[in-house]
Amino acid sequence: MAASTEPEAALSVLPRADGSATYAHAGYTVMGSVNGPIEASRRDEHPYEAHVDVIVRPAAGVGGTRERHLESILQSSLSQLILVKNFPRQLIQIVLQIEATPENDYVNTKLVQASLNFPVVPALLQTAILALLSAAVPMRETAASTVVAVVPQGAKRLLVDPVPRDLEAAHSVHVLAFTSQDELLLAESEGDFTVKEWDEVYEAAKEICCRPRTLDEENDVGPDLRHFLRTTLEEKVAEDLYWK
Amino acid sequence: MAAAAPPSLSFPRPVFAKLSPHPYLLRTLAPQVSPDTPTPKPSRTNGRAPHEARPVYIHTSSLSHAHGSALVRVGDTTVICGVRGEILPVTSIPQYRPRADFGEDDDEETRRAGRGELKDYDLLVPNIELATGCAPQFLPGVPPSTLAQTISTRVYSLLHSCAVVDAKNLRIWASPVVTKPTGCDDDADKMEEDDEEEEEKPELVAYWVLYVDILVVSFDGNPFDAAWMAVLAALRDTKLPVVTWDSDRGVAFCSRNAEKRKLQIKGLPVACTAAVFLEKEHGSETSGEENNRHWILLDPDRSEETLCGETITMVVDCEGGETRLRSLEKQGGTVIGRELIRGFAGVAEKRWREVKGAMSK
Repeated sequence: MAASTEPEAALSVLPRADGSATYAHAGYTVMGSVNGPIEASRRDEHPYEAHVDVIVRPAAGVGGTRERHLESILQSSLSQLILVKNFPRQLIQIVLQIEATPENDYVNTKLVQASLNFPVVPALLQTAILALLSAAVPMRETAASTVVAVVPQGAKRLLVDPVPRDLEAAHSVHVLAFTSQDELLLAESEGDFTVKEWDEVYEAAKEICCRPRTLDEENDVGPDLRHFLRTTLEEKVAEDLYWK
Repeated sequence: MAAAAPPSLSFPRPVFAKLSPHPYLLRTLAPQVSPDTPTPKPSRTNGRAPHEARPVYIHTSSLSHAHGSALVRVGDTTVICGVRGEILPVTSIPQYRPRADFGEDDDEETRRAGRGELKDYDLLVPNIELATGCAPQFLPGVPPSTLAQTISTRVYSLLHSCAVVDAKNLRIWASPVVTKPTGCDDDADKMEEDDEEEEEKPELVAYWVLYVDILVVSFDGNPFDAAWMAVLAALRDTKLPVVTWDSDRGVAFCSRNAEKRKLQIKGLPVACTAAVFLEKEHGSETSGEENNRHWILLDPDRSEETLCGETITMVVDCEGGETRLRSLEKQGGTVIGRELIRGFAGVAEKRWREVKGAMSK
């Protein structure tokens, strides 16, 4: 079954960075820091917009080709959210350090793996957005992301936030991200699936990422990420303004 | 000097395209109605219609030293891929776990276990080289660029998730009586390393490791589609020699004149990429985005890629009659939603038929 635990987050955990956040969900813990807008190196300087630089550091070892791929995915998604046109010739640097990954004795875990690790993408994206909000970087909209796996049998064919053992058995794995205006920002899928199956996955993911705020507890499919993002920020603001 | 003609106020087309590529592409995609062209046809700067891909040419077995190779040309993007097999004895695999039974029946469980073998022992090693002077933005002699690393990860992921190569074809067996390089008996048990005369069952002694090297000879956009096509064509062309196991010396060897066996490739997944071109560059203004027109440009070339932010890559396989999606990657924008992805499946199917035609030539 899906790990239907609520995500946890903390904002502004690092004292020296412009903004930072930690985020933990489904066995993954990621810490992110944001510095910016700062001066861009000449190579990255763009005359009309800010350069968004994403650095992903794995839990163990140094980053390889997989981390470069994750960085390019996050970079293209976050550039859509940040108002990059407001900061020409500048750099916004986002560093994401994976602190913990779900352990599983049955799945062979190698230190260096080249294939894309789907379940870590939502954690990275969520951390980056929280850190950007903490750094008060102007953004057009926020986003929320989730992982859905299609498993062959069982009562539930769609599995939200699958554990590594489920991923091995899954027919297909999908990562979807939605902006706060309910638009599809990112879609990555692999495995064997049809357009119809993808449609079902889309429905399930959209339910999690951009559910309207109803207190409907019966058909609870997973965490309500938009609501979570809002309450996390509200708590932080309330804490910061406590002295008033 | 004084006799020079008065300066012209209009530029020829190439100069305009170089100076301001975005308005130039926009103007060709949305041509204005004039008396001599009452119904202008939108086209791209390269003369193609928005949903028109470049024709594919595939030539296989051009490299003499590789076990399989293919040269793929898609417009001005040329990619060459060579597959070279090397023998990996199980004794030199760290953390090698002998398996009790290799099921001969082709069920789901066996295939998944085979996939684990491919992944755990790294039997498929793709690598892409972009720094060959194929385009001005890639300097030769520098460490692999982010694009090269990204494509290599995508090719690796797709090779494993599509399971085009079955681990069954890469196992090398030895039996004291007769050598069975690829086939195995139903009750093939992994035996100990001793060479007893009464031992009858074949033993797994080594694996083939396939080094898939991709070289981009000329780069004109859409490198992933061309690279994946080259990988697939090269794997389909791969013939591995039959290996003999010398149990006395404990080495595997294959003679020059040995019989060669074709590698079995499952399915024909074909990648299809498109980029989204926006009338107004995204984020130039916050209001009026609802009437921001967009075009989906199939198989973008290099100049179009620099102007488009959002891309979609869909890998489809229609081999079994039904269209199966093997991978979907959409990033960098919010234009492509659910309806467009559904519609794009049809475009990808059409591309699949084109590529299948080119492969079987």
